[in-house]
Amino acid sequence: MNPPTGRLLTTGNAMSAKAALDAGCRFFAGYPITPASQIFGAMTATLPSMGGLAVSAPDEISALALCIGASLRGVPSMTATSGPGWCLMVECFGYALMTETPVVVAVVQRLGPSTGAATQGAQGDIALVSGATSGAYTFPIFAPSTAAECYADTLRAFEWAERLRTPVVVLSDKEVASTAEVVELGGLPQASGAVRTAWGGGEGFRTYGWEQEADVPPFAPVGGEQVVTVTGSAHDRAGLLKKNDPETLANLRHLQAKIDAVEAEIGLVDTDIPEGADTLVLSYGVSARASRDAVAQARREGMRVGFANVRTLFPVPRTALGHALRGIDTVVLPEENHSGQYRQALGDVLACIDVRPVNRIGAAIKPSEILDALR
Amino acid sequence: MPSAEAMVAPCSMPYCKGCSHGLVVRALGAALEATGLPREQLCLVSDIGCVGLIDRLFPTVHTVHALHGRSTAFASGIAMADGVLFDGALKTVVVIGDGGATIGLLHLVAAAQLNVDVTVIVHNNHLYGMTGGQASGLTPEDWITATTPVGNPLPPLDLVGVLRSSGATFLAREMAMNRGLADRLGEAIAHPGFAVVEVMELCTAFGVPLNSLNGKKLKLLAEQTGEPLGMRALDAGRPSFRAAWKDKHPRSGAGPQWPETPSTGALSLDRPLRFVVAGTAGERVQSAATLLARTAVAGGLFATQKKDNPVTQGTGFSVSELILSPEPIHYTGIPHPDAVVAASQVGWDYLVRTGVAARLDEQSLIVADEGIDLGAWGEGAVRLPLRARVRADGAALAALGWLAARLDVLPLNRLIDTAERAWGDKAGRSVAALQWGFEAGG
Ligand SMILES: Cc1ncc(C[n+]2csc(CCOP(=O)(O)OP(=O)(O)O)c2C)c(N)n1
Ligand code: SF4
Ligand SMILES: [Mg+2]
Repeated sequence: MNPPTGRLLTTGNAMSAKAALDAGCRFFAGYPITPASQIFGAMTATLPSMGGLAVSAPDEISALALCIGASLRGVPSMTATSGPGWCLMVECFGYALMTETPVVVAVVQRLGPSTGAATQGAQGDIALVSGATSGAYTFPIFAPSTAAECYADTLRAFEWAERLRTPVVVLSDKEVASTAEVVELGGLPQASGAVRTAWGGGEGFRTYGWEQEADVPPFAPVGGEQVVTVTGSAHDRAGLLKKNDPETLANLRHLQAKIDAVEAEIGLVDTDIPEGADTLVLSYGVSARASRDAVAQARREGMRVGFANVRTLFPVPRTALGHALRGIDTVVLPEENHSGQYRQALGDVLACIDVRPVNRIGAAIKPSEILDALR
Repeated sequence: MPSAEAMVAPCSMPYCKGCSHGLVVRALGAALEATGLPREQLCLVSDIGCVGLIDRLFPTVHTVHALHGRSTAFASGIAMADGVLFDGALKTVVVIGDGGATIGLLHLVAAAQLNVDVTVIVHNNHLYGMTGGQASGLTPEDWITATTPVGNPLPPLDLVGVLRSSGATFLAREMAMNRGLADRLGEAIAHPGFAVVEVMELCTAFGVPLNSLNGKKLKLLAEQTGEPLGMRALDAGRPSFRAAWKDKHPRSGAGPQWPETPSTGALSLDRPLRFVVAGTAGERVQSAATLLARTAVAGGLFATQKKDNPVTQGTGFSVSELILSPEPIHYTGIPHPDAVVAASQVGWDYLVRTGVAARLDEQSLIVADEGIDLGAWGEGAVRLPLRARVRADGAALAALGWLAARLDVLPLNRLIDTAERAWGDKAGRSVAALQWGFEAGG
């Protein structure tokens, strides 16, 4: 396949759907919700003719459960939702994490709480999504800020979900996902094809048969030649329910260790930091867009300001942020929520730095508000 | 019927003495053995509850221990994928309690509607065993349970009846003690679509002592509630999910390629322009804005288009925020529009209500249909007979044509080009609206 050229006027949601197909997703189950329905629509329109499955679920619990079932059968799977639907998915999401079942969930944020405002944007679900599992286990959460990044981050989501045997969330927002904008096709990454570490056959298979705690156990599908024992209950490496057992506890530590081990590699922070800058605008998603404009204006006014667009929100990209924050003593951190959810998640990463949060709800933060914080 | 010995591990049953779950395990083991299928073509998906403690009992087949109530949904995902993306050889059996069937009822209904190749064995001991004998949706009326100390006030759900009306193609109801149970389970598993078998059980820890129950009384109870015992309805006429899917969705290609982006000659623009186009849903406000955006993009410029509408998509206002720029666009908000288009009163009122109108300054153009009451903003606004001349659904397009000409943004021939590319031989009226607006603005 030749790399595409030219430019396209399209939306983040459409780019997410295209990326899923290019990454090898062949199962989608959805339940409609604004502003994520467009992904469901695109998958329904395209997957069946490609030999894949796109099905309507009677609720979001079913949507994610169906995806998990298909993924257990060995098929890269995806669903898409927004805050209210995410709330219903939380139990199954924990199951995917516990059973080490790859699945990608696109969560397009809208204004909450509760049903909130369906057609209004927000970045209010950082804590709700990242804190989804009992025990607060870490799983990858990517945050695109443009339609092109929706493509790139959805590709990454499939690659990491399959490689790490973990659920992954692509956390966009209404503005990024549904505003049409220009995508330069030549600038998009090429899909490398998401690959699940497969069991090679032979003796000694265990469903969760890692050797070192940070290893990803080789996968065998339900219905394949190798019989598997899958469970969402606390289990040993054979997949058998076991309580108060050292191997069971080691297995729980393993769930965290396999993510921690790839922090530096999975961490993606796009930076534009001029020599000698001591101030950094650090943002993500829709607020990163206004940040770009604010930083450009600040530089025109003679300020030496850096910019960082955090694409991997979780695991917190400590390595990449460590580089970005070298020599920085002031961070302006805009996010479209009222309490600075990602600022709080960054915690000690921002220790000893003068942090100036810019928060608001109800509309995207304006470049002028970020400039005010810079001045 | 072969015995269960080869299938069920020789470890002790994890249930209380006399619990009916053990009987069903033996019958299921015998039924699975009787299929003669290789072990890797059998998958048991178990729910949460005493009923779900089967992984160790069936070590030679695939087992998935699911979430409470969700077992049928996980099984449906497995079976759909296996049926359509693989050869459909896998037999998927759900082992679930009356509690799981209560909390996860919708998954059973959905699986019946879909007619997926899943067999659900509902182990109905009439209460939540594992959590201490509380009432479920299948608890009989007047029953004493931990949560109905003076008797259950509710009638039990007729589960098999519900699934019958949901389209299940195989239905059965049996006593756990019935010697024919294994045969019945075997028939259900062999059925190529959705099959449900409700098995009437004793929970010796709670149901039995609290209701002085025994096998005889259980049988009586079964005969008094729900569908008749032993009943078996087979609708072989309805295609399975797999058959229906393959029939409806012949594989036809490799999937979508990147669309061709027309590249016309370069257009130039000396500054970003920000328009807010407001009108009524269904009057082609969005497609008018898209036309300008596409024309700009084909000419090498940048554009963003943001929609706003009420939650009900087909009625009320429809607003499109459009930015055209020679440079990449980051922030897509429009605090100070260069121009607003008011194609209808509903659209204009929305701009007033949301404060967009209040933010307009002397530089902002207002292009409005002449019939709209603009209130304090009437003075200085450009009033055009939009709706009268090009009808309601051409109004936004004509106004944008006017702006394109007046602000020298995009040439008419390029706009017409985009319209014809988008709408083919249906472009006639749109082109006329554009032309009329453009000429009025030129
Ligand atoms: C979401 C959720 N809610 C509640 C529970 C607690 N719980 C565990 S087993 C069970 C009841 C099981 O009853 P049933 O399905 O009838 O199986 P039985 O124990 O009677 O065999 C409940 C409510 C749970 N595990 N998950
Ligand atoms: S509590 Fe009831 S259902 Fe559970 S094992 Fe004991 S008898 Fe069986
Ligand atoms: Mg029960």
